[in-house]
Amino acid sequence: MLWFGFGYSGFGQLGPGEGFTLNLPEPVQLKGANVEKKRIVRAVPSWSYTAVVTDEGSLLLSGCVGGSPQQVICFPSLGCCDVLPSEKYLIILRKERAECWDVLHLDCKGTVPEPMWKMEFSDLYDTAFPLVAKGYVLSEPPFFRELPPTLQAQKMALGNEHAVLLTSDGKVLTWGSGRHGQLGHGDVEDVSEPRVVEALHGLTVREVASGGWHTVSISESGDLYCWGWNESGQLGLPSKALQEERPFSREDPTECDEDEDDDLIGIQSFPALIDLPQETEAAKVSCGSRHTATVTRSGQLYTWGWGKYGQLGHGDTKNLDQPKRVEFFYQGKFCVKDVTCGHWNTYVMCLPEAK
Amino acid sequence: MTPVGGDVKSPQDPRIHQAEQMQSSLWSQIQSILPPSLEEFPQVLGPEVDGAVVICVKEAAASIYTHDPGRCGQLGELIMDYSWEKLNGCKWRDVSRDWRTSYSYGCLFKVVGICRGLVVNKEEVLRVCDMSLLLGAEIMDNVISRIIQILSQPLSMDSVEPPECKTVLTQKIRKRTKDTQGKEPGTEPSSQIPEKIPRPLTPVLHIATTIPVVRCPSLEEFRHNYLIPQKAVILEGVIDHWPCMNKWSVEYIQKVAGCRTVPVELGSRYTDAEWSQRLMTVNDFISNYILDQPARRGYLAQHQLFEQIRELKEDIGIPDYCCLGEGDEDDITINAWFGPAGTVSPLHQDPQQNFLAQIIGRKYLRLYSVSETERLYPFDSSLLHNTSQVDIENPDVDKFPDFAQAAYQECILYPGQILFIPVKWWHYVRALDISFSVSFWWS
Repeated sequence: MLWFGFGYSGFGQLGPGEGFTLNLPEPVQLKGANVEKKRIVRAVPSWSYTAVVTDEGSLLLSGCVGGSPQQVICFPSLGCCDVLPSEKYLIILRKERAECWDVLHLDCKGTVPEPMWKMEFSDLYDTAFPLVAKGYVLSEPPFFRELPPTLQAQKMALGNEHAVLLTSDGKVLTWGSGRHGQLGHGDVEDVSEPRVVEALHGLTVREVASGGWHTVSISESGDLYCWGWNESGQLGLPSKALQEERPFSREDPTECDEDEDDDLIGIQSFPALIDLPQETEAAKVSCGSRHTATVTRSGQLYTWGWGKYGQLGHGDTKNLDQPKRVEFFYQGKFCVKDVTCGHWNTYVMCLPEAK
Repeated sequence: MTPVGGDVKSPQDPRIHQAEQMQSSLWSQIQSILPPSLEEFPQVLGPEVDGAVVICVKEAAASIYTHDPGRCGQLGELIMDYSWEKLNGCKWRDVSRDWRTSYSYGCLFKVVGICRGLVVNKEEVLRVCDMSLLLGAEIMDNVISRIIQILSQPLSMDSVEPPECKTVLTQKIRKRTKDTQGKEPGTEPSSQIPEKIPRPLTPVLHIATTIPVVRCPSLEEFRHNYLIPQKAVILEGVIDHWPCMNKWSVEYIQKVAGCRTVPVELGSRYTDAEWSQRLMTVNDFISNYILDQPARRGYLAQHQLFEQIRELKEDIGIPDYCCLGEGDEDDITINAWFGPAGTVSPLHQDPQQNFLAQIIGRKYLRLYSVSETERLYPFDSSLLHNTSQVDIENPDVDKFPDFAQAAYQECILYPGQILFIPVKWWHYVRALDISFSVSFWWS
């Protein structure tokens, strides 16, 4: 399995570099040396650093940690199986225990710190963060929230101000702030308790992901649905932000067509079906704060949304309001297996020579 | 930073020399208001701000004094982008001041980056400064406002300013004046205004419901007859001496504020689903939404424009009657309302006494007293509970049967008049012409 990363790397998230304004719009391979020749099973970015987990349970942090940029800190054989990193706190799943570390005060020598919060789980629970037994973890106090067992939660994703939950029978529930349509209930109202996204009624959903202000889901048949804020085109729908970048409207503002203006989507308050240009079936999906990445069943990676910091992987820093295949993996004959986005980053897991 | 400006300049080009001179004099002026050394540069960021951002701010500040404008500008933009996500991360009223402060530092560093670059785009600098005033918090003794002041002084700036900004507008104004003057009255062709927009109709007012007009009442008269009994009234002769009454026109606003960035509401009314807000320059607003009339209306509404553009504040006063309130003069909220004919503020109420001063154009207003509230069907949602669901000029009588019984008063407000709207009185406003009004909320 190979891992690649792209996007903002000013703090050395993708390996030590020159400094603060480094963007890597072309995928770079996460080197074996970085993880002491162990295999990476997870790479989860926060804004200024990335947490990498290996199959031997080691944890590797690269970027701005312990108050300094360009750090690489390794915590070997921690028994670590999942991470939820944020700028202030790092939540780690260690076998039967979740614990929280204070990122600013981590020791660069790799001394395992005294956790500032921890929680034991009596039985092992086969889920991915943020979901844990009986509830979910958060990267800010109180670090844990309970979920009613009746919900049968299977997967979860957290946005800036909203939560998305997938039930084991394929329903999607959302709650939290709805200001940007991110709950998908057809309005911009807040909801305090988990509520089923009615517009997806009849569909069995298999994947959910959440960006800062948008939500994406994939149905059993591989259809991709997006809703929420389309500020940078992250929904894959025509966006005002891109309209303004297109050269013709700049040069002559008088030619601005009003009808065209009406077709632009700022907020999409219920799920919209998004087509992938060359293929139809999506398998995995992940969102950064303002971008979206999906892996198709045939192993291709598509990205769209905010691209200013290279997080789309197309070799430039343009925004995109429609899905575009990342040619690096297609031309390199990689079969993409999974993708994890952080704020302004994208990490890709793939196999070589698939075709 | 990438040098801004389209055309390629040869070394002989006199504009290069001019631009360099301008840049150095602009930079030296900005430098003079910045702390003389890094040690004296304040980096006061609150505890909410993430450690990595604090590091960026330190780096950016250092780059000012190591004469690395490119780095300073890039770091500024990085800080702006990240802070912007935080400013949008929760409801505006819950946004931490710490993040607004860090956003403003980002703006300052970006401005430094641009002003020390090869060619200075004054409009870009102003845009960044305005973003700081609109979204950020005050830093370093109002350094952003002081930079705007420097920019507004007539340097040799105009030679660098992209010329199309002005010509397009002038052409448009000319075109429009010609179009409207050349027509017989009443035979306005439908091609001029898109058919989707009904022409603003001037309502016929009934004497019984018309709001009374009083000329220059004394403070005591106003207090006794209108403020204490909470009665609506139009005051005349009160603002005749304000400079805006003679000075202001669309062209004047454009001249004074054209390059400034302001929030504009798009959509017929804020209760509509398609309604949104966008930041744009006053020039863009005037050319795309006032001189042109797209189907989607634009309204520079409820914006504290005079806090942002001091030059316009000098043209207005504060009605003397505001002193009858208990608050200080500083507590009065002054908002600008500038838009084309046809803008509508749906029927709503505000929590303070209101003087609405009409400067340009006419507005139709309808008022309902607080006691009529239950006949006005306010929205249930917390966000819109001060807004009526009724489209009052075209009410749905089946849905809102009691509305027809609600007693109201109405008026057409002319330039030079002030309307007193008592606290919490419901009001509906529709512009009949291109209109500029100034509201004063006081208690």
